[in-house]
Parts: sequence; structure tokens; C-alpha cells
Amino acid sequence: MTEKPGHILQASADDHRIAKLAAIAIGLHLIEAVLPSPLPGVKPGIANIVTLYVLYKFGIGTAAWVSLLRVFAGSLLLGHMLSPTFVLSLSGAIASLLVLFFAIRLPHRWFGPVSLSILAAFAHIGGQLLLVWLWLIPHAGLAYLTPLFALAALVFGIINGLVTARLLSQTDGQRQ
Amino acid sequence: MVFALSACGREPVYQSQSYVFGTLVDITIYGEEKNRAAELASRIQQDFQRLHQKLHAWDESSELSRINRAIAAGESVNIDSEMANILEHAGKLSAVSNDLFNPAIGGLIQQWGFQRDSFSAVEIDPDAIKALVAANPRMEDIRIERHDDGITLSSRNPAVRLDLGGYAKGYALDRAAAYLKSEQAKNALINIGGNIIALGKHGERPWHVGIQHPRKSGAIASLDLEDGWAIGTSGDYQRYFELDGTRYCHVLDPRSGYPARHLQAVTVLLPPDALAGTHSDADSKPLFITEPENRKAMAQQLGLTHYMMIDRTGNISVSAPMQKRLKWKTDAGTRIQTLP
Amino acid sequence: MPVPASRPYRDLKRAIRPGDWLTMLAAVAVILVLFESLWLGETASKVQIRAGNQIHSTLSINQQRVVEVPGPLGITTVVIDHGKARVASDPGARQYCVKQGWLDQAGQVAMCLPNQVSVELLGSRKIHDSLNY
Repeated sequence: MTEKPGHILQASADDHRIAKLAAIAIGLHLIEAVLPSPLPGVKPGIANIVTLYVLYKFGIGTAAWVSLLRVFAGSLLLGHMLSPTFVLSLSGAIASLLVLFFAIRLPHRWFGPVSLSILAAFAHIGGQLLLVWLWLIPHAGLAYLTPLFALAALVFGIINGLVTARLLSQTDGQRQ
Repeated sequence: MVFALSACGREPVYQSQSYVFGTLVDITIYGEEKNRAAELASRIQQDFQRLHQKLHAWDESSELSRINRAIAAGESVNIDSEMANILEHAGKLSAVSNDLFNPAIGGLIQQWGFQRDSFSAVEIDPDAIKALVAANPRMEDIRIERHDDGITLSSRNPAVRLDLGGYAKGYALDRAAAYLKSEQAKNALINIGGNIIALGKHGERPWHVGIQHPRKSGAIASLDLEDGWAIGTSGDYQRYFELDGTRYCHVLDPRSGYPARHLQAVTVLLPPDALAGTHSDADSKPLFITEPENRKAMAQQLGLTHYMMIDRTGNISVSAPMQKRLKWKTDAGTRIQTLP
Repeated sequence: MPVPASRPYRDLKRAIRPGDWLTMLAAVAVILVLFESLWLGETASKVQIRAGNQIHSTLSINQQRVVEVPGPLGITTVVIDHGKARVASDPGARQYCVKQGWLDQAGQVAMCLPNQVSVELLGSRKIHDSLNY
């Protein structure tokens, strides 16, 4: 095999970074899983900060990779693999990745990480609710909780977006 | 028999419910002290019960059945002044509707099996129906004579069988409204089997009523029913049976002897008048029965300004003044056409 | 070089771009609509069963339960199933109330007239005072 050494070197640096980021995402995922929640289903989704960060730094492909790796590894570690919790987590991740795929194309001058974070949070909870509605029994109690879920998505979406923006500006600063 | 709505907190709403006229009767009184509201409601319920027994079309012991037996026997019969007034007014309504509203076709209604508290599909007997239509019973056939010593009724047509199914509930509404007014009770909503009359308001806001969707559970639209207004609907979903996939509803076309089949529902809204309730009951029938091309003329003839019709495919046509009053439910969709 | 933490306001201004405000506004609008339609809306919260001239029972709709309601003709069976309710069986001949199927919106009523039983869904607020039918 004859590969350009430069290429290998660069790829492994990226791989290294991605692995590190995925590990951070999984860590955040696990922390969130043990943190008590005021309302079942409401979580800050801090692992999404990593997804967003990766999206801006490395593009949607890597972001999807990190995000899905987090869902699978997180579920494996928590013993949720293939359980409803896992399927919900996966559907939320897929829905938010789909939305991010389009949202990252919005003009960056106008729409920053905060927009993307809010959109991803809404897509996440939207995807999960849709799945619950279709898969589990449509439950009036769920409809009752939906506005609260949406409110939480906005609040945590903004916070996560701001944190992402801060992280991005810091690393940009480091590069300069 | 009666209950105050505790769910409304301190709101002075009193509600009583009962089964009269073979249907649900709901009386809601607003702004009266509880005991007084209970007394008023109970008096109204008693009057409804009295009218139900008097005007019952197939209970042998009713006043109306006694008259029907006399007509069949070709005899004249003594009636009281209330019955005379009812039949004279029903006769006028029948005449102005070209006999499409026809309370004399009790024989046909019985033939179709709708004169029963509980019925299932009947065998349709075309010959019997044809004979009943040919006998041509009309309100015009009845003669009411007022003498010094009483009132007598006779019919030149022994086929006349009175059935006030499209009149009695509305008449009862008007009586209840008049009674409440005479007692200085200003705010009430009375619902007899879907026919509603409003008095005053529900506190600061008007009374708000929903209109039943003819094919779904729940309302298709809703409106504010202001002081004195009455609303009534004729629908093919109210009393019907199905035979070989065809729906036979309780509104019969007196000309053919068969159920009217053009529409799913007709709703009429009547402005304040001493007879608003009666009209809200009776005036929807001719519109329900008549041919599509004659509907506008029929509405004019009846003096109707506010009406809505839902045809067999679910398309809604509504008069312009009615459209202004209606709040559509989201699933009413885009099938609404406002009539010129 | 990291941005000094002593300038949080400038940070915030730089982090939130003009379109982000639009996104937040849209999100708030969506949330308001959701609250309006799902909390103040017509979602039923209670089932009221009436028999004859009495209220037979008023029950939460968020449960699974079968209620047998006696009437003059016999027993009318009402089924409540997590947010919806229906008349499952009725001794009346015409069976309109059974054919009506599931009710899931406040203000919907199923009436079994022969047996004098009615089932009405109640919401957090009454959508109308009475129903014309």
C-alpha cells in the first residue's frame, strides 16, 4: 500500500479529535442520564453542544457520526440497548441531524449556533413525540405535556447554542 | 333531577336535565339565586311533561291520539283552546311551506316506523306508502270551529293523522321563554333535543352554542346565540335506519311518501320573536325536503334569513347573514360556500 | 487567544445573530400555539356520564376503565381509554350512540336516548354552553 504519509497523519489527527469529542459527548450523555429531572423526558441535552460544535468544525457527516456514536455507546453503557429508551434517543438524534443537515446551509451571517441549537432541540423532541405517538399508545397526557417539552426545548436550545458559540469563538481564537 | 354546576365555581349557573319528548331536555339558568332557579326550572319541566303527554303522537292516552281517533272515525271532537291555537298555527306554517311541513302525515310516519320510542329497520311497503300519499292528508282538511260552548275539530279527510313532531318541541321552547320572561328571569338557555332558545346572556358574554357535525362527533361550527334567538336543525342523523346500505331518515317528503334525501342537515337561526322557538323547529323541514333549485325561494317564502345546509357529500352552503355569525371548527375545511 | 470572560455582554451580542432572534421568536410562537391548543383547547379532561335525570359519574378521561350505567332498558356500557371514551354497548335498538365510536374532544356527546344515558366529554373550559343537533 502506498499512501501519502501526510494524508495519514492528518486523518489520524482528525480521528483522534473526533474520538475525543465523541467521548466527551458520551460522558455528557451519561451525566445527564443520572441527573434527576423535574419532568420525565425533559433534559438539557448538553451532549448536543458537542454535535453542534462538530457540525461547525467538521461538517454534517462527522456530526452524524459523533451523534450516533453517542446514542449507541451511551445506550450500551447504560444497558438501554434496543430498549424503548434507546429507540427514543435514536429517533431524537436522527430527527435533529436531519434538521441540522438543512439548517447548516442557512446564511451564517444571519443564523448562528443559537438558531441551529433551537432548531435541533425542537426536532429532537418532535421526533421523539412523533415516535411515541405512533409507536406507543397516543395518550392525552402526552399532548398535555407537549407544550412543556417545547418550552424546555427553547430554553435549553438557547443555552446550548450560546455555549456552542462560546466554544467556537474560543477555538477560533486559539487558531488565530 | 337538578344540579348546580360546581365546576363553574361561584358562577351563578344552574342546570337541570331531564328526558321529555323522548329526548334530552337541558335548562340552564344564569344569575338567579339557586332555589329560585330550581323552582323556575322545575315549573318548566312540568310544563314540558304536560305538553309531551298532550301532544304525544302515538301514546293512546294523549289528547292528540284522541283527536286522531275521532278523525279516523269521521267524527267531530271537542278540543281546548291551546290545541286549537297550535293546530291553526301549524296549519299556517304548513300552507306557507307548500305543505312540505305537514303535521297531517302521521299515517306515513307510522308506516315508516318512526312513531316508536325504539325502532329498527322496517319492511318498506311501497303499496301502503302509495296509498297514504294518494289519500293526500293536509292541515287544510281540518276544520276548527269556535262556538260559545267550546271548540270543535273535524276533518273532511279521514286519512289525516296529526303528528306534531316538528312543532311541539319548538312550541315548548317558546312557552318556557315566555314563562321565564313573565317571572323576570332574564338569562337562560333551553335545549330540547337540540332545539335551543336563548334568553339574555351568560354573565358578560352571550350564550355560545355548537352545531353538531352531521357525520362526526362534536361540532362543525359554533355561534353566539343572542337574547331571544332560537336555533334548530333537521338532520338525517337524528332518527334513521339503514336498510341494504341506504339511510332512511325520519324527515319524510309528503309528496313521495319517502324520506327526503338531498341533504344531511339544515340549520335555521331565528331572530327574537314570540314564536322563534316554534319556527326554529318547523322551518328547517321544508328546506330539508325541497329540491335544491327551490331552496332559495322556499327560504324566502318562510322568511328565513339565517340558514345553513350540508349536502349529501358534505358540502356546506350558508346564507350570508348566517356565515357572519358562525365560527367554523377547523375540520369544517374548505367546503363552505356562502350563498348570494 | 480566548476571549476574556469580563466581556459577557459583547460575547452574547456576537453569539446571537439577527436571524437567531427570528428563530427564537418563531419558537416562542410555536410554544404559544401549543399551549393554546393543547392546554386551553378542546382536549377533554373529564367524562361526564348522565343517567336519567341524574349525573351518574364524572370521571377522569386519563384512565382505563369500563363503567356500567343502568337505565330503564338495561345496562349501557361506557369505556374510557386514556384520553378517549365511547359507548361500547347499549340496549337501545338503534345503537346511534354505539355507532358514534370514540369521543376525544371536549364538548362531544354520545346520547343513548332510549336508555336515557348520555356521555359528554368536558374540557378545562366549556367550548359551548349547549349543542344544537
